[in-house]
Amino acid sequence: MTTKSVRKLSRRKFIEALTAYCFIAPDFLGLLIFVIIPIIYAIIISFYHWDLISEKVFIGFGNYSRMFSDENWWNSLGRTLKLTIIYVPTLFCTSLFLAVLIDSVKSRLNSFIKTAILMPFAITSVIASTLWMFLYNEKRGFINAFLNLFGIPDQPFLGSQDQALFSIILVLLWINLGYNMLLFLSAIKEVPASYFEAAMIDGANRWQTFRYIMFPLIKPTSIFILITTTIASFQVMDLIMVMTKGGPFKATEVGVLYIFDKSFNLLDLGYGSTLSICLFVILFIFSFFQSKAVSEE
Amino acid sequence: MKRNYLTVAFLVLVAIILLFPIYILFMTSFKSANELFTATLWPHFPTLDNIRAALSSKFLVSIRTSLVVSITVTVVAMLLHAMCGYALARFDFPFKDTLFRIIISTLLIPSMTILVPLFMIAKFLGITNSYAGLILPALFNAYGIFLFRQFYLGFPRELEEAAEVEGCSKARIFFTIALPLSKPIIIPLTIAFFLGNWNNYLWPLVVNKKESLYTVQVYLANMVSGYSTPWNKVIASSMLAAIPVFILFLIAQRYLQEGIKTTGFK
Repeated sequence: MTTKSVRKLSRRKFIEALTAYCFIAPDFLGLLIFVIIPIIYAIIISFYHWDLISEKVFIGFGNYSRMFSDENWWNSLGRTLKLTIIYVPTLFCTSLFLAVLIDSVKSRLNSFIKTAILMPFAITSVIASTLWMFLYNEKRGFINAFLNLFGIPDQPFLGSQDQALFSIILVLLWINLGYNMLLFLSAIKEVPASYFEAAMIDGANRWQTFRYIMFPLIKPTSIFILITTTIASFQVMDLIMVMTKGGPFKATEVGVLYIFDKSFNLLDLGYGSTLSICLFVILFIFSFFQSKAVSEE
Repeated sequence: MKRNYLTVAFLVLVAIILLFPIYILFMTSFKSANELFTATLWPHFPTLDNIRAALSSKFLVSIRTSLVVSITVTVVAMLLHAMCGYALARFDFPFKDTLFRIIISTLLIPSMTILVPLFMIAKFLGITNSYAGLILPALFNAYGIFLFRQFYLGFPRELEEAAEVEGCSKARIFFTIALPLSKPIIIPLTIAFFLGNWNNYLWPLVVNKKESLYTVQVYLANMVSGYSTPWNKVIASSMLAAIPVFILFLIAQRYLQEGIKTTGFK
C-alpha cells in the first residue's frame, strides 16, 4: 500500500469515527446527565445526613447501620416480597394457560379474544386505579353488588388490612395478563407444528406434549417473562400511590413506597438514598442470577 | 370438535370478564348522579352531565400537556435512538464496545433509585415546573437504543454498500437509506414510547408543582386523593382520558402484536 492510500484510508476511518461520535453523543450525554450522574450522586448522598434544611453532614455508614435496624424498612420489603410471590407465579401460569388454550383452538373469535384480553393493557395505571377504586367501593361498588347476589356480605377490599394488597394484585393481573399471554403465544407459534404432530403420532396426550415438547421449547420466553415481571413487581408504585397510598395502616406500604415517603414527604434524603441503593443491589443480584440462568440455556 | 367449542366458550367468557371493567367505565360515564352507585348494567336515564362536568378547562389543559410531552418525547427519542443504534451497529470506532456496555448497564438502574438525584439535577438545571423538566429526562432510554442496534445488525448491508461505492457519506446513507427503511422497528417503538409516556405518573408528579402543567395522569390522581371524591366526574374524566389511547391501541393493534414479537417490549 502506498502512503497516499494509507492516509486516505485513515482519513476515511477518522471521518467514520467522527460521524459515529456525533451520532452517539446526544443519547450518551443524556444518559450521562439523567441516569449515570444521578446514580453516582445517589451513592454519595447515601453517606450523608441531609434533610434540605440544615447542611449535609457526612456520617459514613450511619445510614446503612440505621437501615439494618429499621424494622419498618424490612417490613415494607416483606410486603414487596409477598406481592412478588403471589403476583409473579399467578401471572405466569394464567397467561401461559390462556396462550396454550388460544393456540389450541381455531375459531373466528380468536382475534376478538386476543384483542379483548390485551385491552386492559392499553389503560394507564392511574385510570386503572380510579376505575378499580370505583369498582371496589365498599358500600356501593359493582364487585360487592355482584358478591351480594351470592349472599356474600359487603367486603371492604382496599379499606381492609387483609384484603388491600390482594385487591391491588388483582388489578395488576388484569392489566398485564394480555401482554404476557401474547408473549407466550408468539413463542408457541415459533415451535414447528411437526414437533406436535410427531408427538401425537407417538401417542403422547395433551399434557405430555405440553410438558415435554412445548414447555422446554418456550423456556427462553418463560425466563424472560419471569425476570421482567419480578423486576416490575419490585417497583409497583403508581397503582398503590393512587389507590391506597400505602394504607390502610401500612398494609400496602411496599419498599418503593417507603423510599418515596422517606425521600419526598419526610425529606430524609440521605437515608432515602441508602434505601434506594439497597433496592438497587437486591434487583442487581437478582438479575445477575437470572441472566446467568438465561445464558446457560 | 366439541372440546373446541367448549374451549372457545371458556375463552370468550374470560374475554368478557376482562372487558367488563372497561365497559363499566364507559357506561357509568353516562349515568345520572342518582344512579351512579346502583349496580345497573346500563344507564336507565342516560345523561351527558358527567361528561360536561369532566370537560373542564383544567382537564383539557392537562390533556394538552400530556399530548405535547408524549409526542415530543416519542419523536425526538426515535431520532436519537435510531442514530445511536445505527452507529453502534454499523460504524467502526475506538471505544465502541465500552460505550455500548455503559449504555446497556444503565438498564439495570431502578427509576426509584435515581428519583431524588434526578430531581436535584432538574433543580440545578432550572427545569423544574417546565416542559423541559417533563420532557428531557424521559428522552433517554437504553432499551430503545438497544432495540435499534439489534434491528440494524440484522439489516441487509447491500443497499448501504452500493451507496458507499457511489460515494455517499455514512451519515447520508443513514438519513436517506437506513432510516426510511426502519419502519418495522419505528412503528412498534413509537407506540410503546407514546403509551409509556402518556402513562407516566411518578416523574411528572415529582418534577412539576405548577397546576397549568399537570399531566392528565396527575390531574386524575389528584381528583381521587381528597376526602370526598366526585365520582361521576372522575369516571367521566377517566373515560375521556382513556379514549385517545384506546383509539391508538385499536388502530395499531396489529403493529403492537408484531412489536411484541420482535421486541418483547411494551
